[in-house]
Amino acid sequence: MSSNLERSASPGIRRLTSVREVGPLLGLIALCALVSILSPVFLTTSNLMNVLVQAAVASILAAGVNFAILTGGIDLSVGSLLGLIGVLIAAVFKSTGSVFLAVATGLVLGFALGLLNGSMVTVGRIPSFIATLGTMSIARGLAFVFTQGRPISSFPDSFRALGAGELGGIPIPVIVVLVVYAAAHYVLTQTPFGRAIYAIGSNEEAARLSGVNVGWYKTAAFGVSGLLAGLAAIMFTGRINSAHPLAGQGYELDAIAAVVIGGTSLSGGEGRILGTLIGALIMGVIRNGLNLLMVDSYWQQVIIGAVIVVAVLIDRRGRAAEGAAVVK
Amino acid sequence: MRNKVLLIAAMLVLALSAAVSAQTYHFGYVVQDLGNQFWLTMSHGVQDRAAELGHRVTVLDARTDPNRQLANVEDLIQRGIDALLLSPWDAPSGGTATEAANKAGIPVFVLDIGVSSGKYETLIVSDNYAGGVIAAEYMAQLLGGRGDVAIIQCQLGYEIVSLREQGFEDRATELGLRVVAKQPADSQRALGMTVMQNILQARPNLRGVFSCNDEMALGAIEAIRAAGKQNDIVVIGFDAIPDALDAIEDGRMTATVAQRPYEIGRMGVDAAVAYLKGEKLESTTYIPVELVTKENLADFR
Amino acid sequence: MEHSSILLEAEGIQKRFGGIVALDGVNFAVRSGEVHGLVGENGAGKSTLMKILSGTYRHDEGVIRVRGEEVVLGTPARALAHGIALVPQELDLLPHLSVMENIWFGRYTRRPGWRIDWNDLRERTRSLLSRLGSNVSPDDTVAALSVADRQMVAIARGLSHNAQVLLLDEPTSTLTPREVERLIRIVKGLKAEGVGVVFISHHLPEVMELCDRITVLRDGRYVGTYDRAAVTAEDVVQMMVGDKAGALYVKEESTVGEPVLIARDISSPGKLHSISLTVRRGEIVGIAGLVGAGRSELAHALFGNLPRTSGSISVNGAEVRIRSPRDAIRAGIALLPEDRQHQGLLTRMTIRENTTLAALQQFVRRCRIDRRKETEASRVQIDRLAVKATGPEQRVRNLSGGNQQKVVLGKWLLTDPVLLILDEPTRGIDVGAKAQIHRLISELARAGMGILLISSDLPEVLGLSDRVLVMYRGRIAAEFDRREATAEKIMLAATGGDRA
Repeated sequence: MSSNLERSASPGIRRLTSVREVGPLLGLIALCALVSILSPVFLTTSNLMNVLVQAAVASILAAGVNFAILTGGIDLSVGSLLGLIGVLIAAVFKSTGSVFLAVATGLVLGFALGLLNGSMVTVGRIPSFIATLGTMSIARGLAFVFTQGRPISSFPDSFRALGAGELGGIPIPVIVVLVVYAAAHYVLTQTPFGRAIYAIGSNEEAARLSGVNVGWYKTAAFGVSGLLAGLAAIMFTGRINSAHPLAGQGYELDAIAAVVIGGTSLSGGEGRILGTLIGALIMGVIRNGLNLLMVDSYWQQVIIGAVIVVAVLIDRRGRAAEGAAVVK
Repeated sequence: MRNKVLLIAAMLVLALSAAVSAQTYHFGYVVQDLGNQFWLTMSHGVQDRAAELGHRVTVLDARTDPNRQLANVEDLIQRGIDALLLSPWDAPSGGTATEAANKAGIPVFVLDIGVSSGKYETLIVSDNYAGGVIAAEYMAQLLGGRGDVAIIQCQLGYEIVSLREQGFEDRATELGLRVVAKQPADSQRALGMTVMQNILQARPNLRGVFSCNDEMALGAIEAIRAAGKQNDIVVIGFDAIPDALDAIEDGRMTATVAQRPYEIGRMGVDAAVAYLKGEKLESTTYIPVELVTKENLADFR
Repeated sequence: MEHSSILLEAEGIQKRFGGIVALDGVNFAVRSGEVHGLVGENGAGKSTLMKILSGTYRHDEGVIRVRGEEVVLGTPARALAHGIALVPQELDLLPHLSVMENIWFGRYTRRPGWRIDWNDLRERTRSLLSRLGSNVSPDDTVAALSVADRQMVAIARGLSHNAQVLLLDEPTSTLTPREVERLIRIVKGLKAEGVGVVFISHHLPEVMELCDRITVLRDGRYVGTYDRAAVTAEDVVQMMVGDKAGALYVKEESTVGEPVLIARDISSPGKLHSISLTVRRGEIVGIAGLVGAGRSELAHALFGNLPRTSGSISVNGAEVRIRSPRDAIRAGIALLPEDRQHQGLLTRMTIRENTTLAALQQFVRRCRIDRRKETEASRVQIDRLAVKATGPEQRVRNLSGGNQQKVVLGKWLLTDPVLLILDEPTRGIDVGAKAQIHRLISELARAGMGILLISSDLPEVLGLSDRVLVMYRGRIAAEFDRREATAEKIMLAATGGDRA
């Protein structure tokens, strides 16, 4: 019976779904086409690499935040975690001279702070918006306490490699982004962890009643977010060649914007990680394109805001159309 | 005949060079934060001067983000500019941005703050040392050339800002004042008050205070008033922020030192044009600062 | 009583929701100075009728008259203007405002200059509350009051509109016995003042004690209105249940074996009181009772989703510690929850992802989900349960209610449980899917599964169950064997009518 129905599946439903899924990609392509018409510089290899490197830190943060958002939560702390972890790994490097130790510190610390966020949400039952808002302020404050407001700067190339190095002519940050997104995509689509994250975001109560260990997986999702904030801190510090307690301020909002533009629902359970990468690239291309076109900084803020709203609007309409098509 | 040929050749060269000088340049100005009045005024200086000379300038705001600052510089390099004017977020991140421009062969002109690495053609900055000097001179004049004075320092580690206290200390000592205390208050008003309270405890005979910025000076005058010594102690700040001007107007504060960000911006454009025409530049250009007292207050409103 | 004393009269009321007829040809009248009981099974249409009379819903056909004059109600405000006030089961007060603000909300007396005259309001609130014999202060915040006191405030709010007809929907369901007594005193007082009170309750003893007349609804139809003195509790139950002979679904015979579940002394404060029960292999145990009797709570307590203060649970003869749904699933218990949308389905996900969720470990090899095996298993469930869908990749939100329920059922069958708890498995499902689910339940029992079937649908319980337990106020009030169980006996026990 079902196989008959399978064959008679309405192709309209499939098509609409797929338009929604490739929507951000089409947006990115259209945007690139537009910018390259307006500015011949845009499509040069060096500028494209330039965009990818510039978007790397935001892409990594967005990948992490996407985990938290898919569970139906939010992580506002990633920008501040970047700042705190940045100054701490800089200090570790300055005092030990070991790149390995600095990188390990960054990743372990990020993961631990992320788990702390997660435990506040799951064990402490604090809404994630509030819990991570608190962490955001605490981490920023600690970064200032730790440095007394002074930047830590000047590192050798070995330390800067993850943020500013090259491998076979390709910037290492670009390689890191590709590896992280490939891993995240695998985890979210192929593993029980990924399935649990979608299930929790889709219906937490139903997931719990189906035996999913909701607390554990939710905590872990925030752990991933923190881990990637740690990685982003390493890249950021390397790129700027300086760790400042104010680093990463406001980046949480850029990350959330990338996730939303990429088609992930803020209420959780829906969205693809590759969409998030595209969202981050869209933001990067817009900033780069507007700079190339000599558009004032003030207007750039206006345009980015408009893109966020329009992206969500299109997504909503796609969703409504999909629902309507099925109810028929 | 020969002379005539030479003359014509010389005239041609002159005409050509005039044509060269009439060429329009495209500058990029990356500024740390347009949300801050000081930097906004400086960017107006850059834009106004470029417009007067007929050059194009693109102003990009780093919005206090060193990563954005670097991205802005990279984008300007891709776009192709003749010179980069840079007001860095801080000296290390400014260094990273300067190095990026160096790699692309674009000359860099640093407006204020300074950079800690990379090669730049000139640094245009307020004469912070002179600001300390004129503050010391005014204080010595008011105190009759003797008495104990204190310095409240900004955040440590900023070379340019520390020139203010050096200028003050050097000149004050020459003029017979005795610097009996130096303490940092992290550029903040509240800390300025606490630090001042401590100094007053330790130095009951204090006659004057020089603060490296107005915020800390405003904190200090609260501590002084609480101790009932508002008529005994001279307080001089730095920056001429609106709150400080108010305090000078109603007599709570003695004086402050005004920088001229608009002039710095204009000078930046002039320096870049001069460089591109092949002129030699000083490695640092100092822009004079001015003392603001009750008498000339109106000029700075 | 004379005709002129009729305050509110409804005649031939019909109400449809989409294609479903919720009320059909219902007559109802309230006289001055009477307490009129309205009774019926779950879903008989009592609350719908109340919402029509209070202006929340519009009826599709029929006439409503107030003091003999035909009126159109349509909105709660208009109903109030006609002197009809509803005190709903879920009180609609503003918890963070004071008692007097709640009562007079939107109708504050003002002094010149738009200032609210709080003193006047306070005085008027006090006199209203004293009429009800309540000692609540006008300045108390509603959130700080007990449920009973909030109910007083809601009643006072109705009276503040000079209500002549007061509709009380299940007013006693959340009250302690002492509070119920107080409420009954107040209702009698209002009756003496000439107010007409409509009283809905699942608890027949209260109805029989308090009401002057009783109207019975059954399946959205009007059965009749009777003087209290003319009927017994048994008569009322008989009318509520009606002729339920010829149940459609009859369980096939299966051999009942060893106990799969033995639960002893299960208690949860305020919800369950020392419940013990046994379910055997191949046995279907029905649990009947009215809304609020604790049936779903029992299911969730057995499933580890409701904290217990006492009790032990054995599965297949071995005592198990169940403190979370995960423990329960590991022990071989499955729960098909009552609220499909909120507790059962991952609405944004596919049939495949829904069906394999509870048994996901079966499909995991080296931390990776075997998509092919998963698709295969989900296809098997789709076929077995005859889910009408385009295939495993269809999103469940696009399925009909019956097919969604089958997907949730499929999820639990994949865990291969020894005990399957079904909480209202066929509510809101079309007849065809319902029959399929009944056949499936019967098959599962024959294959040796123990089944606990919670249902408000008496024919369903009677047709499928080997034994029926009836719950009343958090306890098991009665147990009937398949042969002795009748709708009347069950309803009598479920309403406490056997104690009247």
